[in-house]
Amino acid sequence: MKKDIREIVARIDTLKPIPQVANKVMVVSENPQSSMSMLSEIIQYDQALTANLLKAANSAYFGLSRKVDSLHQAIVYLGMDKVVDLVVLGASSENYSQAQEGYDLAGGELWRSSVSSALIARDLAEKTEIDDTHAVFTAALVKDIGKVVLSQYVAESFEKINLLVSKHGFSFREAEKGVLGIDHAELGGMIAERWRFSGKMIDIIQHHHLPMEARFETEAAVVYLADTLCMTMGIGVGSDGLAYRFQKNVLEKMGFSDRDFQEVIAGFGEQISHVEDLINAT
Amino acid sequence: MGPLQENGTDTVKITVGVADMKVSNDPEAILVTYSLGSCIGIAVYDPAVQVAGILHFMLPDSSLDPVKAKSRPYMFADTGIPPLFKEAYKLGAKKQRMRIIVAGGAQVLDQQGFFNIGKRNHMAVRKIFWKNRAMVSHEDVGGNVNRTVKLAVKDGSCRLKVSGRGELLV
Repeated sequence: MKKDIREIVARIDTLKPIPQVANKVMVVSENPQSSMSMLSEIIQYDQALTANLLKAANSAYFGLSRKVDSLHQAIVYLGMDKVVDLVVLGASSENYSQAQEGYDLAGGELWRSSVSSALIARDLAEKTEIDDTHAVFTAALVKDIGKVVLSQYVAESFEKINLLVSKHGFSFREAEKGVLGIDHAELGGMIAERWRFSGKMIDIIQHHHLPMEARFETEAAVVYLADTLCMTMGIGVGSDGLAYRFQKNVLEKMGFSDRDFQEVIAGFGEQISHVEDLINAT
Repeated sequence: MGPLQENGTDTVKITVGVADMKVSNDPEAILVTYSLGSCIGIAVYDPAVQVAGILHFMLPDSSLDPVKAKSRPYMFADTGIPPLFKEAYKLGAKKQRMRIIVAGGAQVLDQQGFFNIGKRNHMAVRKIFWKNRAMVSHEDVGGNVNRTVKLAVKDGSCRLKVSGRGELLV
């Protein structure tokens, strides 16, 4: 490994790792045999997590007709799947509050795009044969964590990176790799590994721009598609613009039509203020 | 203080969200729409009456979902553009005096004609403007860059922030 890459990788430790309790919840949620009581057993002792979860459960995004004020109620009214998502949301936001200078994203922008992309990925996953929608949700949420570490290096070398993109036909990710020796997706995979995410999640995060190279190709394709939809809507787009490659064959393989693409955009556009509410509650 | 200074005490920032439209004749106001992606922002300004408006639409054609188009007309080009002009006319603006700026409509690389919402959004604008004989004064459309539009009501000065190119006055 080149010295510069070693320096970048060493900075992974400056991130705040996902709390243990969220890791446990993710493991439990991957097991189809697990029950609500197993889930609440893990969460209930973490007061901060429970408080965050209730705040998010009461946001306009879910449109519940009554206020939820216990973990048990949240599980009853929202269902176990959504509660797991909320645990992951509550546990992940901390690393995203800063502005990402290299990508020209103001504070909170990367979080907004990560949450949006996770919500879209979950909806898409439910329409496919994917069983483990939690892995897709979490991978979509965490996929750009590499940007948090890489931002400073992208800022330092922005002119070189931008030249490759604007004059030499590179995608932004390819230009990161070309100039810095590592790109944000690859780095994201390393971070997921350090945080002891499952092999599936590491694979999806690492290949979210190159889903056809993933072992879990369908899951990676869903996360890729959610990311492309966010870019199209201008969500989380900064100095990198929309300079990422369109993988037509991936979408064809998924049977995702042009109309489907527009319908997801219209559906998300309609609930965007509710999504904002959820983002502000997490 | 420059005409577009946002943090001055006498300016009011009016944010135009996604699938949203705002028109104003408050001389202290600056209209802003952020991060257009493949969406298109249309900024209009009539200097004679100091009326400014911005529409930020997402998709070219409301036939996709007529029900949504009813509740969220600013989501689509064909249902969003007419009210932008109508609201400006209500405040005294006239089409023949209006400056019209079109920005956005970017797309990801290698789309080769598939799903290229950005391009289709742009085509929809051209078609509607051609039918209604509206002349576009400035266009910054396409490519794979991201754009933000700011329009000052006081003097109609319009700043475009384009990823990788910085901010320019148009």
